[in-house]
Amino acid sequence: MKIKVKVNGKEYFKDVSGNKTLLRFIREDIGLTGTKEGCGAGECGACTVILNGETVNSCLVLAAEADGGDIETIEGESENGKLSKLQEAFQKHHGVQCGFCTPGMIMSIKALLKKNPKPTEHEIKEAIEGNFCRCTGYKQIIEAVRAATGQLKRQEELRHV
Amino acid sequence: MLHEFSYVIPREKKEILTLLKNLKGKARVLAGGTDLMVDIRAGKEKPEIIVDVKGIEDFQGVAFDAKGSLAIGSTTTCRQLMQNKILRQKFPIIVDAAGRIGSPQLRNRATIGGNICTASPCADLGTALLALNAEVEVASIDGVRTLPLREFYIGVKKTQLREFEIVQRIIIPNNMAGAKYGMEKLKRIKGHDLALASVVMIKTESVLRVAIGSCAPTPIALKEFPADVQLKMICEEARKMIDPIDDIRASKDFRAFMVQEFVERLFKKLQ
Repeated sequence: MKIKVKVNGKEYFKDVSGNKTLLRFIREDIGLTGTKEGCGAGECGACTVILNGETVNSCLVLAAEADGGDIETIEGESENGKLSKLQEAFQKHHGVQCGFCTPGMIMSIKALLKKNPKPTEHEIKEAIEGNFCRCTGYKQIIEAVRAATGQLKRQEELRHV
Repeated sequence: MLHEFSYVIPREKKEILTLLKNLKGKARVLAGGTDLMVDIRAGKEKPEIIVDVKGIEDFQGVAFDAKGSLAIGSTTTCRQLMQNKILRQKFPIIVDAAGRIGSPQLRNRATIGGNICTASPCADLGTALLALNAEVEVASIDGVRTLPLREFYIGVKKTQLREFEIVQRIIIPNNMAGAKYGMEKLKRIKGHDLALASVVMIKTESVLRVAIGSCAPTPIALKEFPADVQLKMICEEARKMIDPIDDIRASKDFRAFMVQEFVERLFKKLQ
């Protein structure tokens, strides 16, 4: 079937088969491979994208279900090669190690910050409870979000470097 | 790669009911997809046709009916339940239970109808709805039937729903509005995890109701007690009714022990 979607602000008309997931559509049909497949069962959150303002596990959504929708992925974060504030904070605070969870992690935090620009540590943890990171132990990620939202005290800066 | 199937998105309820009747079990209804898609990927479900019912108005919304009972459309997502004003004021237990399911990503998609149709023994929402004495309104091309949720569940991931039927609304009886409640859920980690044992207790001026999750083939409701029931009575009834399994996540004895502990805790909380 034919679907029309907006991905990171750009419109696409594509023909998709009924059994294609939104994840495979984004990776294979649109060619944006930042979004990853981890477990394929809604556990790990590596495939998290924002669909119509809400985060979803794109491995559990059919591309056909996203018809008419507005999709945001990690590729929409940087502008003209310049990292977003959130990406910069991840880099500076070592929120990235192997990097596999990062695209999904950033999408979950982006959705959080849109509704809640100064989240508490607890709210950050809740927002990423569906995003598994097996490298960093989460501390650096939480620190990066606190830094990006101007909540890190100076003596705490670069605690993990 | 998922097996080949076609995807249809009907415009109205009647179209869905006709499709389900004609397709004789070859179709599966898709709402949030957080269970169905996992089962398809694992090869446990092989529908030829997927019928997306999210867009149908008859299955949406939260409103009181003429008798003052609350009707919740089956495709209402956990996120919508958590944000709903009526539920926040009158049925905070539903808001609480919906917020305990999975992760934010799953709560944005998973629906109340899907939760009860999946019929997992550890369903958080299903356990809360049992404590509320909820009823399930089921539609088919032949008409509508309503049955208590406790009868709807018949086994591990098994319900009374026939292949040509669809759950359209969940009904909460009017005497449950504003009831005091408590919910305890045992899990291994703080975030995203399944219940190893859970207890929901609801108390109105006249009755006290208890439901238990993860301790039998389906979530179970104990018999309804008067509001002034003794703790000992509830503990005895709970011990009699549960039949937990031993598995990698928790032993039978541990689950049974925690049910007693939770019943006691919630009883004290609601005094």
